[in-house]
Amino acid sequence: MDTSVFLKISFADALNAWIESIVVNYGDFLHEVSAFLLQTLLVPIEKFLIAAPPVAVLAFIGVVAWFGLRRVGLTVAFVASLYFIGCLGLWEKTMQTLAIMLVSIILCLIAGLPIGILMARHRWLSRVLTPVLDVMQTFPMFVYMLPAVMLFSIGKVPAVIATLIYSLPPLIRLTELGIRQVDAEVREAATSFGASTWQILLWVQLPLARPSIMAGINQTTMMALAMVVVASMIGARGLGEDILHGLTNLDFGKGAHAGVAVVILAIVIDRISQSYGLTARQRAALSKKGG
Amino acid sequence: MRTPLISTLALAAAAFTLPALAQTKPAWCAADKPVKFAGITWESGQFYTELARFFVENGFGCKTEIVPGSTAVTETALVSNDLQVWMEQWGGRTDIIRKGKEAGKVDLVGSLLKDGTVEGWYVPEYVVKGDAKRNIKAVAPDLKSVADLPKYKDLFKDDEDPSKGRFLNCPTGWDCEKNNNQKMKAYKLNATYTNFKPGTGGALDATIASAVERGRPILFYYWSPAGLMGKYKFVQLQEPAFNEACWKTIFGSTTDEACGSATPSTNLSVGVSTPFKKDAPEVIKFLSALQMSGDQLNPIIAEMGEKKTPAADMAKKFVANNKAIWSTWVPASMVAQIEAKAK
Repeated sequence: MDTSVFLKISFADALNAWIESIVVNYGDFLHEVSAFLLQTLLVPIEKFLIAAPPVAVLAFIGVVAWFGLRRVGLTVAFVASLYFIGCLGLWEKTMQTLAIMLVSIILCLIAGLPIGILMARHRWLSRVLTPVLDVMQTFPMFVYMLPAVMLFSIGKVPAVIATLIYSLPPLIRLTELGIRQVDAEVREAATSFGASTWQILLWVQLPLARPSIMAGINQTTMMALAMVVVASMIGARGLGEDILHGLTNLDFGKGAHAGVAVVILAIVIDRISQSYGLTARQRAALSKKGG
Repeated sequence: MRTPLISTLALAAAAFTLPALAQTKPAWCAADKPVKFAGITWESGQFYTELARFFVENGFGCKTEIVPGSTAVTETALVSNDLQVWMEQWGGRTDIIRKGKEAGKVDLVGSLLKDGTVEGWYVPEYVVKGDAKRNIKAVAPDLKSVADLPKYKDLFKDDEDPSKGRFLNCPTGWDCEKNNNQKMKAYKLNATYTNFKPGTGGALDATIASAVERGRPILFYYWSPAGLMGKYKFVQLQEPAFNEACWKTIFGSTTDEACGSATPSTNLSVGVSTPFKKDAPEVIKFLSALQMSGDQLNPIIAEMGEKKTPAADMAKKFVANNKAIWSTWVPASMVAQIEAKAK
C-alpha cells in the first residue's frame, strides 16, 4: 500500500559495493601512494617544524609579519601571541597542525592556480567546473571521510585530501576572477608591444591579479585551518586532537586551550597573508595610519 | 490476576482507545513527559536503545525520543535528568556517571549481556592461521600474546614511522584509550610500536575493515559486543591474567610503573535518571530484566552493519522472531500486545 508520489531511488548499495571493490582491487596501491606522500612530504615537514627551535620559528614569523605589515606593534603582538601558544604547552601540536596546513596549501597552489588560469581563459571550462566547485565546498565531508580512510589509510593523508577538497575552491574562484578582471585594454596594449601569451600571463595578468590571488590563498588557508578538528577525527595529530579529547570527555578547559591556539593561529596567518595581497598604494595608506 | 480472555479484551480496547492504557502507564508518561534516550553511536548501543524504545512505546504507552550527542555530553544530560535512559553503560566507569551515582542523581540497573564484555588486542585470524580460501598465508603463526609483539614490529609497520610497528588504539578520549596507553607501558612496547589513535570509532572501523578486505596484517584494540566481531574473524592476543593490583596501574592511572593485566569483563548496565526511576518503576523493572547473550547479540549487530539495516528495524525484527527471549522481560499481560505491534 505504498501511495507515495515519490519513486524509490537509492544508489547507496551500488556505491558501497563500488567502494568495497576499489578497496579490494586498488587499496594496496593507494595505501602505497599514501605512505609515499607521508614519507616524502608530510613527515619531513612535520619533523622539520618540530625540530626547529621555537625561537627560530618565532623569529621567522616575526620577519615575515614585518615585511607584510610594516607595523611594529602588530608584529610584536603576533609573535607574542604565538609565544603564548607555546606557554599553553601546545607548541608541538601547533607545529603538527601547521605541517598539515602547509602541505595542503602547497598542493592547493599546485592544483588551484593552473585550474583558475585555465578557467579564466576558457568560458566553457568555467561553466563545467563551477558546479563541481560548489559540490566540493558544500558536500558534507563526513560522508567521504571514512571511504577516504579505507582507501588512503588513516591519519594525515586522508586529512590532507579532505582539507584539499574543502579549501581548494576559493583559490580557484579568486584566481579566475582576478585574471578576468585585468583590463582588456591593458592586455591589448601588451599584445601590441609584441608580448606572447605566456609573457602576458606572467608579466601582466598574474601581477595585476595578485591581490585577488592572495585573497584566494588567504581564504584557502583559513578553510584549511577550520579542518583541524575534523582531521583529528580520522587520526591526524595536532590541535584538533585536544579539541576532540575535550569534546569526548567534557574537558572544557583542555578543549578551550586548543581552541584558543587555533584562533591565534588563524588571526596571525590571516593578517599576514592578507597584507601580502595589498597593493603598494593600499600598503602606503595603511602605514600612514600608523601602528 | 486477570484471565487471559479479559486481558486480551483489554488489549483490544487499548488498541483503539489510548486512555484505556492509562492504568498501566507509568506516572512519568501519564504526565505526558517523553522518555528521552541517549543517542549512543555504536551498533550494540543503537540496537539496545531501539529495542528498549520499542517496548517502552508499544508496551508501556510512553512517548520516546532519541537525543544525539557525544558520550560525555549525553551522560551529563542524564545526570541532570535532561535525558532519562542511557542504554549500554559500560559498568559506569566514567567520572560523570560515578559522581552522578554518588550524588544520587543516576542509577545503573540491569545486566544487558549475559557473560559481560570482552576487550583486548586483536589481529585478523588470517595473520595467525592463514586463509586458504583467499590465498593468504599465515604471516605470524607463532603470534599468541602481547609479549610476542616486538618480534613482529615490521609486520605491522607504521607508515608514518616505518622503523616501528603500529598499534591502533581506541578512539581519542575513550576510557579504553587511556587504558591502552598504560598497557603500552606495561608491555614495554613504546620503543617498538607507535600508539596510533584513530580519532573516532568510525575511523577505527574503517581502518580495520580496509585492512581485512585487503588481507593485510593489522594490530588493533577491539571489544565485544560489536558488529565487526560478528562480521570478521579476529584472534585476541593473550595478556597477563587479570590482576587487581596491576589493573590499578592501568585503569585511571598515568604511572610509568604500569604492570600488565587483562581488562576485566564489564557488566553492561542501563543508566537511568533518579526522577525517572521513581516515576516509572514498571519501566525500570523491564530494563532490569532485559538481557541477551553475546551469541544472540553479535550476529544481530553484524547484520545491522552488513545490510545497513536501521537499528529500529532490527529491533522490531528481533521482537517478531524471539518471543521466547523477550517474554520473560515484561509482565505476562503485555506479551500479546507487544506481539501484535511487532507484526
